[in-house]
Amino acid sequence: MTEATTEATATRNAVISIEELSLDYGKVNVLHSLSLTIPRGKITVLAGANGCGKSTLLRAIRRLHKPSGGRIFLEELNIHGLGEKALARKIGLLAQSPSAPEDMTVQELVRLGRYPHQTLLQPWSAGDTEAIEQAMAGTGVGDLRDRRLGSLSGGQLQRAWIAMVLAQETDIICLDEPVNHLDLAHQLECLELVHRLKEQFGRTVVLVLHDLNLAARYGDTLVFLRGGKIVATGAPADLVTEELVADVFGVQARIITDPVHGRPLCIPLRLSERQSS
Amino acid sequence: MTMPARALASSRAPFVLVAIVLLFVLLASTGVAFGSTWIPLSQVWDVLLGAEIRGKTVIILQFRLPRVVIAALAGGGFAVAGYLLQRVTRNDLASPGILGVVDGAALAVVCFLAALSNESNALVTSIAYQPVAAAAGSILAIFVVFAFAGSQAASAIRLLLFGTAVAAVLKSLTVIAMLVGPVYQAGQAARWIAGAVNEINWNEIRITAMGMLPLMLIVLIVARKLPPADLDETSARSVGLNLPTFRVHIFVLAAAITALSAAFVGGVGFIGLMAPHLARRLIGRTVHLGLVGSFFIGASMLVGADLIVRLLFSPTEVPAGTVPAVIGAPYFLYLLMRNQRHD
Amino acid sequence: MRPIAIPTSSRPAISLTIALWVTLTMVILASIALGYRQYWPSAIWRAIFAFDGSESAVVITTLRIPRALLAPLVGAALGVAGVLTQTLARNRIASPDTLGINAGAALAVVASSVWFGVGSIAGMSVAAISGALATSLLVFGVAASSGGFSPIRIVLVGVTVGGLGYSIVQIILTTNEAQLKELLFWLTGSFADRPISFAIGGAPVVLVGLMVAWMLAQPLDALQADDTTAANLGVPLAVVRWSGFLTVSLLTGASVCMAGPVGFVGFVVPHVARRFVGLGHRRLIITSALIGAIYATTADVLARFIIYPAEAPVGAITSTVGGTVLLILLKRRVA
Repeated sequence: MTEATTEATATRNAVISIEELSLDYGKVNVLHSLSLTIPRGKITVLAGANGCGKSTLLRAIRRLHKPSGGRIFLEELNIHGLGEKALARKIGLLAQSPSAPEDMTVQELVRLGRYPHQTLLQPWSAGDTEAIEQAMAGTGVGDLRDRRLGSLSGGQLQRAWIAMVLAQETDIICLDEPVNHLDLAHQLECLELVHRLKEQFGRTVVLVLHDLNLAARYGDTLVFLRGGKIVATGAPADLVTEELVADVFGVQARIITDPVHGRPLCIPLRLSERQSS
Repeated sequence: MTMPARALASSRAPFVLVAIVLLFVLLASTGVAFGSTWIPLSQVWDVLLGAEIRGKTVIILQFRLPRVVIAALAGGGFAVAGYLLQRVTRNDLASPGILGVVDGAALAVVCFLAALSNESNALVTSIAYQPVAAAAGSILAIFVVFAFAGSQAASAIRLLLFGTAVAAVLKSLTVIAMLVGPVYQAGQAARWIAGAVNEINWNEIRITAMGMLPLMLIVLIVARKLPPADLDETSARSVGLNLPTFRVHIFVLAAAITALSAAFVGGVGFIGLMAPHLARRLIGRTVHLGLVGSFFIGASMLVGADLIVRLLFSPTEVPAGTVPAVIGAPYFLYLLMRNQRHD
Repeated sequence: MRPIAIPTSSRPAISLTIALWVTLTMVILASIALGYRQYWPSAIWRAIFAFDGSESAVVITTLRIPRALLAPLVGAALGVAGVLTQTLARNRIASPDTLGINAGAALAVVASSVWFGVGSIAGMSVAAISGALATSLLVFGVAASSGGFSPIRIVLVGVTVGGLGYSIVQIILTTNEAQLKELLFWLTGSFADRPISFAIGGAPVVLVGLMVAWMLAQPLDALQADDTTAANLGVPLAVVRWSGFLTVSLLTGASVCMAGPVGFVGFVVPHVARRFVGLGHRRLIITSALIGAIYATTADVLARFIIYPAEAPVGAITSTVGGTVLLILLKRRVA
């Protein structure tokens, strides 16, 4: 890390600040005047029920949607003033169900992550090679580099995609429901990898997860959304309460402390166990 | 469709059918009446019923009637073949043109003419074998399509693409074969690319009619098995129909009818797609009425198409098959788009 | 130890490129030498450098050399147009042929020359390129309005629109009493009997198209992934798509203008090229151009012998091969 960024970290902890962000799809208002800061070097999880706007918020942070109002700052810079490639060198996003040709090899996929660092006249540099090697080593897909994407298992495929975003060498990595279609073992594997992105590579991670327990276990900060607005922000232990879970997810639940990790664990109640409210 | 609506459709079906036949009769007589000189419809009917009108009888019987009759037979044939294919593949988009059957017939006929003509462009064998060659080509084409498609034939839209690919190959081979043989010199090539009904003689009509009659009888006999063929394979078997075998029989039958229709007229696409579709909309799913309706709608379409090219382009002979091709392509796209919403 | 692929400088890439150039030179020479009459290299040499007005010299300079230049030019253009189309549509069975773009260009040329009397190469090129662009917009529009870009569906739309285009070409030409030969030219494509001015006029257009295609290589690489991923990598999607389609129209239009709709070259070539160099567009575009040139020239030589002494339209040969390849790809469920 350069001296300048170290200084920036010292003076200001927020890497992204969102001010009064509103966003519409056609006539439907998806995000209402929403403000949020995302801390550097932490895992921030956006959580909420389906359709609460969490994916839209994530995509807006990466400027994939045009907001109808408000501003998003990356450190001191308004992201709407940045060029396409310049922004792509700062924020990387992995889509919810990304796709690429089945006969593409893992290495070819990871190489795509270097696109924002390349120019027409210098298509490939030693730095690019180093970046993709590190990304593949860090995600454990080095041995799969010549395998075609169509031949990978779901977990391997997700690691290859994360390697691509890692090779982009952005300070901020956004992941949209990265464990959606994975089985239990691969969910854990994937989120452990996300955890390593923070610990080992020092990246700021913004994650959309709909599984509250996974969110509470891996998130340093949780952001609860409902109806395009932020309901609450904070550490999992403070945020995952029976009242808030009822409020955000519309589910009555008992919250206990996970005996292994000490994080809150949400146990949704059956209909017959609910107290009438 | 709700039950009452369906009942209504089938109760009015006979009347619709009569209307279709009347429309056909009107179009056909206009087709005979229209030409370089207009012959009043009353005189057309007199001649057809045996009267002799000086100067007109020859024109009607030797020049105008043959092209109308062959257009009706071929158009009807394509339509019935299309009806069979759409029913048995349970696929609105299937038709002999799209499954490569028409192109198979065209290739076989061009090869037949090329191989069995002598230097002076005269056939060394009877022209009656031409439909046989066409039939062989059609049946081969449809089997190539299904052999390649294999288990993928179950997906309607994939099957169509296999048909399209086979058709592309057959078309190119036809172009090559056309340049080898005397068809080229005879100037018949355009007919084989697009389907034309001019220059037909009574001998060719006789051969077509003699083939068409028994085939249509067979169609009417096997038609009673078509409703259970609407089911999936397992359900069809449980009501006592061996669907895979039945399908093969219907494919052969449809290919033979297509071949006979294409033998002297050439490759007319899209009538086999549109006519059965219209018939089903107007008449409903009643099999026998639907078949007869398809025949007359198809016949009206080709007779009408021929009339249109004569009206618009006379004296140039534009192949009648280009009209259904131009109308049919957007119609197919419309079906494709509608079909998507149904998925 | 696995090699770290750095495409532009690795040795196999260079030897492949050299091998392709050598092959191309050989087929071009064969294209000049072989045909209804065969000529020895010495005769070719004399015809070019010591023209003596003899019959062989005239045939070589006015018939053989123009088509030996036209064929590789058209082949390269279509090969690269095919790569771009397949990547832009994210569809391995897309190509200027299967999307009807060839047919649209042919229709535009025929209509403009018959109805508006356009006769100059420049005018015909403009017509062909606009026809190609209009058709690709139409096909993508219809496919999009039917709610999806499934590879199979878009190709069915394209094939149908293409068929429609050829039907109209046929009507226009038959009503204008064109000869069968002219009809077949505009329906199947051929390199025969084209004046050398066509090759000279088309070459700059094709070269510009190839260069733009090559400059688009990096964003095209990223565009192989889905839109969100590509946007995330910083690809300006709209800009790349529009320049891509313009380039496809330029290349396809120019080749249709020069040789008629030579079928399925753009369809087959990218598949062959990918087997040699993988999916990276910098190498894929160059390799496809070379393989396309070799393929079209070889097919043109074959066209002279397949029904010797008569000559087949080269498009009939490439379409036969292309249709068969399409069948095999469908069978293997590539799309």
